Formats: sequence, structure tokens, C-alpha cells
Amino acid sequence: MKRAGFPLAFAVVLLALIIAPHVLGTFQRVLLTEILIWGLFAMAFDLLYGYTGMLSFGQATFFGFGSYALTLAILRGQLGLWPALLLGLAVSAVVAGLVGFFAVRIRGHYFVIITVIFSLIFFFWALNWSWLTGGDDGLSFQVPAVPLGWWELSLYDPVTNYYFVLAFCALAFLFCRRLVRSPIGRILVGIRENEERARLVGYNVERFKLLIFVISGALSGLAGALYSLTFRYANAGLMHWTVSGDAVMWTLLGGAGSLVGPIVGTGLLVAFSDYVSSWFENYKIIIGALIILVVLAVPQGITGMIRDVWTAGRTSPNGS
Amino acid sequence: MDIFAQLVLGALNGLVWGFILALIALGLTLVFGLLEIINISHGELYMLGAVLGWYVLQFTGNFWVALILAPLAVGVLGLVIERGVLRPIEGKPIITIIATFGLSLIFQQAVLTGFGGAPQRIPAPFEWDLTILGFGYSGYRFFVALCSIVAISALWGFLRRFKYGMWMRAVRQDREMSLALGIPISRVYMLTFGLGSGLAALGGILAAPIVALEFRMGLDILPAVFIVVIIGGLGSLEGSLLAALLIGELEGLTSVFVTPTTARIFSLVFMSAVLLFRPEGLLGRRR
Repeated sequence: MKRAGFPLAFAVVLLALIIAPHVLGTFQRVLLTEILIWGLFAMAFDLLYGYTGMLSFGQATFFGFGSYALTLAILRGQLGLWPALLLGLAVSAVVAGLVGFFAVRIRGHYFVIITVIFSLIFFFWALNWSWLTGGDDGLSFQVPAVPLGWWELSLYDPVTNYYFVLAFCALAFLFCRRLVRSPIGRILVGIRENEERARLVGYNVERFKLLIFVISGALSGLAGALYSLTFRYANAGLMHWTVSGDAVMWTLLGGAGSLVGPIVGTGLLVAFSDYVSSWFENYKIIIGALIILVVLAVPQGITGMIRDVWTAGRTSPNGS
Repeated sequence: MDIFAQLVLGALNGLVWGFILALIALGLTLVFGLLEIINISHGELYMLGAVLGWYVLQFTGNFWVALILAPLAVGVLGLVIERGVLRPIEGKPIITIIATFGLSLIFQQAVLTGFGGAPQRIPAPFEWDLTILGFGYSGYRFFVALCSIVAISALWGFLRRFKYGMWMRAVRQDREMSLALGIPISRVYMLTFGLGSGLAALGGILAAPIVALEFRMGLDILPAVFIVVIIGGLGSLEGSLLAALLIGELEGLTSVFVTPTTARIFSLVFMSAVLLFRPEGLLGRRR
């Protein structure tokens, strides 16, 4: 049952998401595209925090690098869409490798602070080099057509754009799921549960942390590149550490360490913010309160809560 | 203005800023040393100190009342935060950090709602300029440094001479033994968090006549404070004081030649160097 359950559930959700743009209005379609992108970002964060136990407030850096690499490749380099997207992925992976090289050696509270500070270095840098990055105003650009075999897709069509984003998110999700269920994924959880023990058993803890840091950074970069493609825009504000803070909240609300949880959390909070912000400008105060409520009452998040209820319902009757 | 005078002024500005940083960083590191909490909302407590001071000034017109009331009010707020939010999740460091992130959102947005988004200014409580090398220098800045020195000395005295202060040091050294000796640990935790919050707010109200008041000022100062406590060694009070003065001077002097943002990058480079050679910070305990 468990084995057949996942492909079925995945197919149903994917089908719903494929049908969705034809049912929804223009506005909800854009919102759903945005949720998919931020969901991908939150999922990348979950690899780091939920599975490996590294609370990073620096993921927005890689989001920003992916976004800027794509934007600049198209704007300055006159590159096509696929090379630009690839560049976005590669640049964010390289930067994640550089930052990670220092960061994975640092543990606990220091790690949290270091990620905040590293992401601030890059944020200030992007803000200062406005000749390159457009600073706070950002850069906007024209999206080139997507060559796909004999076809040419135009991302100016919102439905095409949505499917483009959905395809990448679905692939990234399957990749992450494969990853966390592989032996590497088990080692990561081992590191999260007891780093010393993982080291004593003989694993090179730093190497695995660096690996997942780079993967998470590259996926964040992919999310950034998709964001820029969708909104045809990049700015320095995307690199601020509070953007990483959003991913922390989405992941926590949805349930860390589950991959699905962060996406659910993102969907709920982004939709909620969008709804509330139309009549209450400073809606983030509610989000702040919500996050404290979640931390105090349901630290395992929404999906964790559902899982708990599910397993309790199945095991409690005869205690088996 | 010749370069020498500029350097002297830069050094003075750096010293004053270093003392403000020291107050805030001492609050953060005091809390960390005892509760093992990284308080992401610490910058917001600094901001609240300044903003509440502004409100008190609007009502009473007296800066000195604000100087007393704002830190007290934020200190009480700190007690409430510790009791209401942090105690239920005691012993879960990562979750605690996320909770303080939520708190920082709440404080920022509350101030944005009540105080508005436009920056405000507080006039210095007295106009008195010193002449240094032929240039006028605000006497209030000297007063800030003096106030900070008095507050830091008082903190040191409190930790050495008073019952609760000694309890704080005891709990910090050995939690189990303190519990066995009958020290009310929960109350000590609560008081420590309140004291740390009050110190941040004191930094806020002292800095208020020098900087622009707005809801984002906590976000602006947090990186500087983080750099200070990392360089000084998390949990080390002496280290934070030393590092705050070092960073203040570093940014003050480099600001003579480059933009403040570039100056900030210099202190980040300095921090990286310290971390490379002394990962536990200048005066941190080796772990």
C-alpha cells in the first residue's frame, strides 16, 4: 500500500496542477506560479534544515545569484534561455560551494549567525554594484523564446510559463525525494540526529554537509532563475536574509523534513498573505504571530500533525 | 579639513558608536551565555528602545524621562517574552531562533503600523559643542560614551556584588549545581532576558539623537552586533566589549576613506580572519 501510495498521490496532485490553470482565473494562475517557485525554494531549504539540521538564513543569496545570473546572461550576454538557465544553476552552485566551504565547518549557533552575515555581504555588494545589478531598482529584461525541438515556446503566455515552472518543480521534487531516500539521505539524517556519532562511524561529516549545501544552493538558484523568468525582473532585495526567513517560516509551518510540508506551507502562507494584504497592509504581524503559535503548539508542522494523527489512528485500536 | 583632523573625528565617532554597539552586544551575549539563545529579535529591542523613547519624548517633552522609561519598558517586555514565548520551548535552540524571528517580524510590523514608515529624528537633549583641532564636535556624543561606560560598569558591579547578579554567573558556570543549591533558575533566566532586552533598548534610546528612527533600524544594526559577538566570542562579556570597541573604531576610521557599506565589508573581512585563527572568538572559552 505504501509503495503504490506515492506514485498515485503524486500523479493525482500533478494532474490537479496541470488542470488548475484552465480552471483558475488569471490572477490565481500567477499566484499559483509564484507558490510553485517559492515552494521549490522552501523545499531546497528543507534539504538543509529538515534533513541535515542546518538552519541557514543564507539561502536567499543563492536564490539571488540564480536570478541575477539568468538575468545578466540574457540582458548582457545575449544568451538563449537554456544556457541562461543553466548558468543560473551553475553560478548559484559555485557560490554555495564557496560559502559552504567555510560554513559547514561551523556548528550550531555560530552557523546560523554566519549564514546571516554571509548573505548580508552579498546583499550589500549587490546593492552597491548597481551598475551591474541595478541595486534596489533591479533589472528588467525581455524573455527570449524557449527552443524545444521544432517548437518554440513563448513564456509571455502565462499558461506556458506556468507549465514551464511546474515541469521544473515536479522534476526537482522527484530528485529531492530520490535523494533523501538514498543512502546519502540517510547519512544526512544521521548527521542531524547525532553529528558526533556519524563522525565516529566514519562518515566525513563536513563533506556530506558541503554536498547538501551545494545541492540546496543550486536548487535555490533554480528557483531564483524561474522567479526572474516569470516576473522578467531581478533586484538586490531578493538576496536579503529575511527572504531566507520566509523559507524558514513556510517550511516550519508546513512541517520540516518532509519535502511536501514546505510546499504546503508555502502555498498556505503565500495565498494567505496575498488574501490578507488586500485589506491589511501590515499583514506580516499576523504571520509573525502565526509562526510563534506553530512553534509553541505544533512544532512538527501541518504535515507532521497529519502524519501523527494518521499513524495514531492506525496503531491505537489494539495497541499494535 | 586636513586628513589628520578627519581621522581624529573618525576615531571619535567610532569610539562613540563602539560604546553603543557594546551595550547592545552585551545584552545579546548575556542572554546567550545563560539561556543559549540567539535572539534574532535583539535588533528590534534596540529599535523599540529608540521608538518608545520618541513616544515618551512626545508626551513629556523630556529626554531624561525617555532615557529611563524606554529601557525599563523594553526590559519588562523582555520578561514577558521569556516567560510567554521562550520558556515553553526551552532546550530547543533551533526552534527558539525561529521563534525570535517571528517576534522580530511582529515588532517591526507593529512599529510600522503605529509609528509609520517615515524616519523620525530626536533632537539631542542639549546643544553643547566641544572644539577639537578647530572643529566643533557634538558634546552629546561624549555624553553617550559616558552613559554607556556608567551602564557597563553598573552591569559589572551588578554581576559581582548583587544576589541576582551572582546567581546569573553561577547558573552560567554550572546549571545543575546551581539548581542543587536552590537558585531559582527560571527566575534568573527571566531576569537575564529582561536585562539583556533593557540593555539593547538603552543602546537604542542613546543612539536615537544620532541616527534616524524607523522600523527597520533593528535589521540594520543586527549584523554589526552579530559580528561583534562572534569576534568577541559568544557568551563572553569582556570579549563583546572589546570587540564592540574594535569594530566601532574599524568602521569609524575606514568610513573616513570609503562608504559605510564598504566599511561594513571591512569588518566582515576582519571577522572572517578572527574566525579562521580563533574560531572561539578573541576572548571566548575554547570548546
